Amino acid sequence: MTLWTVLWIALPFLVAFSLYLLPQGDRSSRSIFDYRVLALGVTLLSLAYAITLFFQPAPLALPLLDSFGVSLLADNLSAFFILTNTLVVAAVILYCWGTDKAKFFYTQVIILHGSINAVFICADLISLYVALEVIGIAAFLLIAHPRTNRSLWVALRYLFISNTAMLFYLIGAVLVYQTQQSFAFTGLRGASAEAQTLIFLGLLVKGGIFVSGLWLPQTHSEAESPVSALLSGVVVKAGVFPLVRFALMVETLDPAVRLFGVGAAVLGVIYALVETDTKRVLACSTLSQVGWILAIPEAAGFYALAHGLGKAALFLVVGKLPSRSLPVLRQQPIDTAYWVPMTIGSLSISGFPFLAGFSAKMLTLKQGLPWQVAVLNGAAVGTAILYAKFVFLPHRPTAKADRWAAQPGLWMALTLLLGGLLLANLGYLDAYAPGNVVKALTIIGLGCLIHWLVLQRIGLVLPRVMERFDHLVGSMSLVLVVLFWITWSWIA
Amino acid sequence: MLYACVYATILLGFFGILLKENLVMKIIAMDVMSTGVIALFVLVAAKGGVYTPILAAGTAGNYADPVPQAVILTAIVIGFSIQALMLVAVMKLARDNPTLETRAIEEEYRP
Repeated sequence: MTLWTVLWIALPFLVAFSLYLLPQGDRSSRSIFDYRVLALGVTLLSLAYAITLFFQPAPLALPLLDSFGVSLLADNLSAFFILTNTLVVAAVILYCWGTDKAKFFYTQVIILHGSINAVFICADLISLYVALEVIGIAAFLLIAHPRTNRSLWVALRYLFISNTAMLFYLIGAVLVYQTQQSFAFTGLRGASAEAQTLIFLGLLVKGGIFVSGLWLPQTHSEAESPVSALLSGVVVKAGVFPLVRFALMVETLDPAVRLFGVGAAVLGVIYALVETDTKRVLACSTLSQVGWILAIPEAAGFYALAHGLGKAALFLVVGKLPSRSLPVLRQQPIDTAYWVPMTIGSLSISGFPFLAGFSAKMLTLKQGLPWQVAVLNGAAVGTAILYAKFVFLPHRPTAKADRWAAQPGLWMALTLLLGGLLLANLGYLDAYAPGNVVKALTIIGLGCLIHWLVLQRIGLVLPRVMERFDHLVGSMSLVLVVLFWITWSWIA
Repeated sequence: MLYACVYATILLGFFGILLKENLVMKIIAMDVMSTGVIALFVLVAAKGGVYTPILAAGTAGNYADPVPQAVILTAIVIGFSIQALMLVAVMKLARDNPTLETRAIEEEYRP
């Protein structure tokens, strides 16, 4: 198992860098060394690894010899996140199959996949730092791939914010080392309040959580659809996962993680409700859904899987619609072939029975603390309202016979993602108690009702001033102060 | 005293990111901040009265802790590659926005 883990971690990087050595040209693109085949092969290997992890009886820990706390830890929680990563990346590769994306794009996707996998099994602060920075660079290159000025600016902004946050994180890491002589996550238990605060801040920004995550809507909505799917589906989870690990390992951090999770769930919903741009609605909803993942760390894995699959599918479909503006889409009916997968994805995230989102939401709510459940139920209604925007879009079937043949990549990707949603639903069958089903249907019904009665009639616009670059950096210092106050008062 | 200087460097860098208008100045400020962080790692490892951690004949006794400095090497490399990437992006942006003022760029590329 050790060898298998090492191979699995190293292979994506090996493949990505050797892709450059392979000859380019028409002949090689049809052989087995086609870069798309290799990229898909890497994800298949990850799938195999995730499945072996699920059947692993005990967590696998790999400490570095003579270590300073540098270690890997692969368990059930990692398996869920790795599975999400695998399915979303595979779907994106399938989606881009027929397009004229360059080899460079696939190289970056594989590197991104590999480094996200590394985050999901590392158990020390320095491996985590390196993996997160590699993710930052790969994501920067993917966002900037169209090379327009706007995409360059969005990418630059992303890299700038995330790198500044990671500098804070590094200060925290060395402070932990100073007191504990170890970089392991467990060292956080006895670490000073300022060390915990700084590390926490870095991960909050990286994971796009609560106020620190307000860089996320613009970044995720301005990227190309497959890149948005990657960013929302898995990249933010690389910031969320370590926080979940901390909450499960270190009891004193647990309340802060839960608090920020619930805050993010509510804030994201409020932002998403007033948006009228499809991709921005989805991006703001990501802001809210990472809050859900974080709010109840025990159920994080399953929720991350359900959200990753659903959100990636939604981004891929929405990218194909004729317009990004919801008012325009309400005027001109969309193709039913796009409406169906969009509705399935929306219903899953809203928590409709028979889809993974339902089981995940019920599992999450079951394990929540009483105060959390009350707030999260409200957030769930909000989520249902905002996805009603997509479900109630007018649609009609168009008689284009070549629709399926023209975009085989899209349909293969959607089959993978939506099939995953249906299958993952079987992972937690206890959710199907009559009470739960009634509750889920009530939430969705209430959401649709409010959507029809209230939200369609009022046009509210939230100012975007908080998303300005200066304010994003400034809010980092404010969150730092608040966090310090929280950790300090809880430790004392 | 040294600690105070290092933390001051970090803070100055952070305020530079926050307050400077020009994008290149912001990136330089970030470099100042990361220099401060690197200096902090070096300082944490520095100790008086112990040997340099290099294996040589005739040096028995306590060694200084080499780990933070070994670790920060990675961070230096990552930091420098990120700076390089950012500067390339800024070069491309500068073609259409010669002043490189963050506020103006942000207004222009807002959706």
